Amino acid sequence: MNTTSSTSTASPPKAAPPPVRAGSGPWQLARAELRRRTSVKLSLAVVAFFALMTVAAPLISALGGWGPEEFDKTAVDPYLGGLPIGPLGGVSAEHWLGVEPVTGRDLFARVVHGAQVSLLIAFSATAIVVVAGTAAGIVAGYFGGRVDTVLSRLMDLTMSFPSLIFMIAMMSVARDVNRIVLMTAVIGLFGWPGIARVVRGQTLSLKHREYVDAARVGGSGPWRILARDILPGVAGPVIAYTTLIVPGMIATEAALSYLGVGVRPPTPSWGQMIAESVAYYDTDPMYFVVPSLCLFLTVLAFTLLGDALRDILDPRGSGT
Amino acid sequence: MNKRTRVLATALVTTLALGATGCAGGEKPDGSRDRGKNPALANSGAVLGGTPQKGGTLTILSNQDFTHLDPARNWVMGDMDFGTRLLYRTLLTYKAEPGAKGGELTTDLAEDLGVSSNGAKTWTFTLKPGLKYEDGTPITAQDVKYNVERSFSPDLPGGPDYAARYLVGAEGYQGPAQGKHLDSVKTPDDRTIVFELRKPFAEFPYATVLPTFAPVPKSQDKGPQYDNRPFSSGPYKIESYARDKQLVLVRNTHWNASTDTVRKAYPDRIVVTMGLKANQIDDRLITAAGADASAVSWDKLRPESTPKVLTKPDVKARLLAESTNCTEMLQMHTGRAPFDDVRVRRAVQYALDREAVLTASGGPALNDPATALMPGSLFSGGKQPDTLKIPLTGDVEKAKQLLKEAGKTSLTTSITVSNGDKAVGEAIQQSLGRAGIKVTIETVDPSAFYDTIGDTKNRTDLAYTGWCPDFPSGSTFLPFVFDGRYIKEKGNSGNHSLFRDDATMKRMDEIAAMTDAEQANKAWQELDAQILAKAPTAPAVVERRPLLVGTNIAGAFGHTSFGGQIDFATVGLKDPAKSAS
Amino acid sequence: MILYLGRRLLGVLGVLVAIAAVTFTIFYVLPSDPAAAACGKSCSAERLEAIRAHMGLDAPLWRQFADFVTGIFTGRTMGSGQYALHCDFPCLGYSYENSQGVWDLLVDRLPVSASLALGAAAIWLLLGLSAGVTAALHKDTLTDRALMVGAVAAASLPVYFTSVLLIFGLIRVAGLLPYPQYTAFGDDPLSWATNLLLPWLALAILYAAMYARQSRSSMIESMAEPYIRTARAKGLPRRTVVVKHGLRAGMTPILTIFGMDLGGLLAGAVITESIFGLPGIGRLFYGALSTGDQPVILGVTLLAATFIVVANLAVDLLYAVVDPRVRY
Repeated sequence: MNTTSSTSTASPPKAAPPPVRAGSGPWQLARAELRRRTSVKLSLAVVAFFALMTVAAPLISALGGWGPEEFDKTAVDPYLGGLPIGPLGGVSAEHWLGVEPVTGRDLFARVVHGAQVSLLIAFSATAIVVVAGTAAGIVAGYFGGRVDTVLSRLMDLTMSFPSLIFMIAMMSVARDVNRIVLMTAVIGLFGWPGIARVVRGQTLSLKHREYVDAARVGGSGPWRILARDILPGVAGPVIAYTTLIVPGMIATEAALSYLGVGVRPPTPSWGQMIAESVAYYDTDPMYFVVPSLCLFLTVLAFTLLGDALRDILDPRGSGT
Repeated sequence: MNKRTRVLATALVTTLALGATGCAGGEKPDGSRDRGKNPALANSGAVLGGTPQKGGTLTILSNQDFTHLDPARNWVMGDMDFGTRLLYRTLLTYKAEPGAKGGELTTDLAEDLGVSSNGAKTWTFTLKPGLKYEDGTPITAQDVKYNVERSFSPDLPGGPDYAARYLVGAEGYQGPAQGKHLDSVKTPDDRTIVFELRKPFAEFPYATVLPTFAPVPKSQDKGPQYDNRPFSSGPYKIESYARDKQLVLVRNTHWNASTDTVRKAYPDRIVVTMGLKANQIDDRLITAAGADASAVSWDKLRPESTPKVLTKPDVKARLLAESTNCTEMLQMHTGRAPFDDVRVRRAVQYALDREAVLTASGGPALNDPATALMPGSLFSGGKQPDTLKIPLTGDVEKAKQLLKEAGKTSLTTSITVSNGDKAVGEAIQQSLGRAGIKVTIETVDPSAFYDTIGDTKNRTDLAYTGWCPDFPSGSTFLPFVFDGRYIKEKGNSGNHSLFRDDATMKRMDEIAAMTDAEQANKAWQELDAQILAKAPTAPAVVERRPLLVGTNIAGAFGHTSFGGQIDFATVGLKDPAKSAS
Repeated sequence: MILYLGRRLLGVLGVLVAIAAVTFTIFYVLPSDPAAAACGKSCSAERLEAIRAHMGLDAPLWRQFADFVTGIFTGRTMGSGQYALHCDFPCLGYSYENSQGVWDLLVDRLPVSASLALGAAAIWLLLGLSAGVTAALHKDTLTDRALMVGAVAAASLPVYFTSVLLIFGLIRVAGLLPYPQYTAFGDDPLSWATNLLLPWLALAILYAAMYARQSRSSMIESMAEPYIRTARAKGLPRRTVVVKHGLRAGMTPILTIFGMDLGGLLAGAVITESIFGLPGIGRLFYGALSTGDQPVILGVTLLAATFIVVANLAVDLLYAVVDPRVRY
C-alpha cells in the first residue's frame, strides 16, 4: 500500500502528494489498475446490479406481478400466526422469493423497492456529506486563520455528539415530515467532519505548491484557485473516501430503520425488513435471509471498491 | 437471479395478472378457512396443572417493567392483578376462579360486600378484624381513606379516577400532601369507612376492587418514591426491586391466611425478571429447561412464536388464551367531513376486512372477530351478537355502493395507530383501499398515542383503539365510549369517534337511573346494537391474551377480570423442589 | 502541559454545554407531552395543568435550562411539602417514568454497559490486532489474503445479523450458552461472563474486523519508516523491532479510533443491548424515547457526549506516552 517512500512524520492529519505522475494521466492509470483486479470487477457488478434495481424498481417488481404493498391472504396461514404456506417461506411461481408472514406481501417486490429506499437515502446522505465536507475542508485549509479555527471547532463539536443516539432521538421526535428526506438530512448532518478533516489536511499541503503560488501571482482570485487548482488536487482522496463511507451510510440507514425510527409503513427498506424479520429467523428463515443478504452484499461490494480506489488514488491516506 | 427472473417473467405475466385480480376481487365467503375447533382454546376456562404444592420459587419472565406498583397509580390490567393479588389488599376483590366466575365479587379487607343507604349515594364498609401490614402494625380504615386521597395528588398521576368521578367534594382537591383531607370519606372508627357520592352508583362495590382502595399508612408514604417500594398488606413483600431489571418478593409473615379467602400464596418466593426480549421469553418457555420450567410469561406470546407453540401438542397444552374483554375498533371522526356522513361510515364498516386485521393481530387462534361494540362478557351467553351480518372479509361492493350514495367515489384519509399495531394499520389501509378509500398511516409511540388522538382538532380522521370495561357492566363501556358530553377538545379519551347523538345520550341517562341490574343490562345490550347501526366505529377484533407457562407450573388460569392475565392469587408449582432456590 | 490540559478541559466543558443546549431545545419542541403521558387514560385538563406545574414544564425554556444547569452543580428540590423530591449534586433531573433521579439511573445502568463495552473491547483488540499484525507481517501472502477477506466480510455484517446467527448457533442448536440475562459481576463472576459472552462476541466481531483492517495498514506503514530500517540494520532481533518500534508507532491511529469507539459504547450500545435484553444505558435510552421521558434522554445524551470528549482527551494525552515524537 505504501508504495511511495516518504519522509514525513506520521501524525494526523496526513498530507498526501497529489496523484500526478509523469506519462499517462492519473485517471487512466487508475482505470487500468482497477481493471486488473477481480474483486473490483465483482464489486462493480454487485453495485451495478443494485443500482439498476434502485433505478428501475417499479419496472422490475412489475415483472413479478405484485406491488410491494399488495396483500396476499391466500399465501399465509392465519392459524399459525400468519406463517407463509409452502416451503422456503412460500416460494412459488407467483412469489419468487416467497412472501412476508402475516400480510402475504411479495418479498421480491419489497426487497426491490427496499433497495430503492435504502440506497437512495445512503447515496443522498453521502452526497451531502461529501459536498459539505469538501467545501468546509477546502475553505478551512486554504484560508486558515479565524475561518479555520471556527470550522475546526465546529468539526470537533459535531464529532463529540453521540451521533447514533442523537440520530435516533431526532428521528423519533419528528413527525409529519417526509421520512426519507429527514433521514438523509439527519445522517448527513453528522458525517461531514470526517471528510472535512481529510480535505483540510490535503489542502494545507497543496496550498503552497508552486503551481498554486503561480496562479496566485498570476492574479487569480481565491475562489478561482480553490475551484481550478485545489479541488482537482483533493479529488482523488475524496473519491476514495466517498466510496468508503457509502457502506457506513447504508448501515446507518439500516440501523435506524432496525430500531423502528426509519421509514414509515408500508414503505419497505432493507433495515425495516430485517427488523421485522429477525423474529422469524427460525420459523421463516427465508424472510430473514433475503434482505440481510442484499444488505451484506451491497456493503461488502462498496467496501472492496473503496479499498481498491484508495490504494490507487490515495496511496497514503489509509487512515480514518 | 436476474436472468432466471427475466425468462420466468414473460411466461408468468399473464397468469399473474389473472391471479392478482382473482385475489383482489373477492375471497371465498366468510369462514372458508375455518378449521372447526380453535387449536388455542383447549385450556379455556380450565386451571392448568392441577393444585400447586406450597413452596419453591415462581419466576415471571417479562419484557417490561411495571408501569406503577403504587396502589394510587396502578391502572394497567396486568399490573393491577399483580399488585392486588400479591402486595396489597383492597376493600373487595374478584373471586379467584376461571371463566365467568372471575367476574364475581368477594370480600377482601372488608367483611361484607358493602352496605348502601341514601339511594346508593352512601356506601359503608367494615374491615375484618386482625388485619396486619408487613411490619405487624394493624391496617386501619384511615389508611384506606389516605390512599384514596393520595390518588388525587398531581405528584402521583396515572391511577383510576372513579373516586374523582363520584366522591362529594372531589373537584379541585389536590391530595393530602398539603394537609387537606376529603370530608366525603369518613372513618368513624378504625374498622369502618363510609363513602359519600355525588350521584347514585349501584355498582360502587365493583370500584372498590381497584387499587385506589388499598391501604397505605401515612408513615410509609414517600410520595412518588412509594412506587419503588409499596408497603405490603398482602401475602408477599418486596425484598428487592431494581427498576427494569428484577423484582423479588418474599413471604409477608404477618399476612394471615385465615383472613383471606382468595389468595393461596403457594410459592415461597416470586422473582420477576424484566426487560427480556419477548421472543427469547417465548423460546425459553417452549424449551422450559431448568429454572424456566417453573416460569410463566408476563406478556402476550409473540405472533411469530405461534407456529412453534400450536404445532407441538405438549407445548400447546401449556398455553393459556383467555379473552382480554377489550373490543378494538376502527374509530371515525364523526364530527367532520367525510365521516360526518353516516353512509361513509357504514361504507367503512363494510369495507373493513376483519380477517386481515385478525391475522395482523395474531390470527384467529388468538383473537375473535368483533361483531358488536361491547365485548362478549357483557352480553347474555357471553358472546357478542351479530346484528349487521357483514361478512368477515367485508363486502366491497356494498361499501362502494354506500360511498356512491354519499356522492363519493374515492376518499383520501389517514389513520393513527400505536407502533405495536403497525401491521393492523397496514391491514386496514389495504382493506379500505379496495373500496377506494386511500389511507395514510401515522404510527405513534404507545406513550404518545392517547395524547395524539386525544387532540380532537389536529388528530387524523381514523384511529385504531379499543376499550375494556373496568367491571362487568355496560355502564363502564358505552357511556365512556359514546357519550358526547365527555368529549374534550384536548386530552379526549374513550369517545374517540367524537360521537354526539342526542337519542343515545338520553337513553344512557335513562339506563343509568335504572335500579334493576337485570333490566339495565338488557337495555345496554339493546343500545349497543342501536349505536352500531349509526356506525361511529367499526368493531374489528376482541383480542385474547396468549400466555405460555412452564412445565412445573400448577394452578394457572387467565383471569377474565384482569384482561386474561394469569391470576397470581392461585398460581404455584407442581414440584417446588424442582425450582431454583 | 498543565496549560494545555487546562485549555482542553475548558473546551470539553464548552462542548458539553453546547450539546446540552441543543438537546434541550430539540426535546422541548417534542410533540409528546410527558405530563399527559404520566396523567394516564382519563385525564382532566385541570389535573394535567397541575402535573405540568409539578414537573416544572410551565416555565419558559431558558428558565428550565438554567434550572437544569444550576441543578447539576448545586442540586435541586422539586415540588414541595411532604412529596418534595430532593435531587442532590450532580442532579441531572428526575425521571417521572422510573420514579428515580436520572443520575441514580445512569449510575445503576452504567455497570451493564461498561461490562459489555470493556469485555467486547478486550476481545476485539485481541482478535483484531493480532489478525492485523499477522497480516501485515505476512503481507501479500495467502495468510494475509485470507485474513483480510474474512475481515471485509465480517465488517459488512450488521450486528443484529451476527447476533441472530450467534443466538441460533450457540443457544438453539448447540445449547452451549444460556439466553443472556444480566448478572452483576459482584454477584457471580462466572455467570456474569457466560451471560455476556454472546453479546461480547456479537459486538466484537464487527469491531475486530475493522481493527484488523486498520492495524494492518498502520503496521505496514510504520514498518516502512526509516527508523525501523535503522533498527533492523543495527541487528536488533525481529521480534524487538516489530514490538518495540513497529507496533508502537503503528498503534497511534488505532488509539484514536479506540478512544472514540470505547467512549461511544460506554454510553450504551443501543442495538446490542436491545437485542440481548441487557439493562444498560442504551436500553434505558431507547425506553425513554418511547415513553417521552425527557430527563433521561437528556441525561444519556450528555453522558455519551462526556464519554466521547473525555476519551478524545485521554487519547491525546496518551499519544505522548505511546509516540515519543509527540510533545505538548
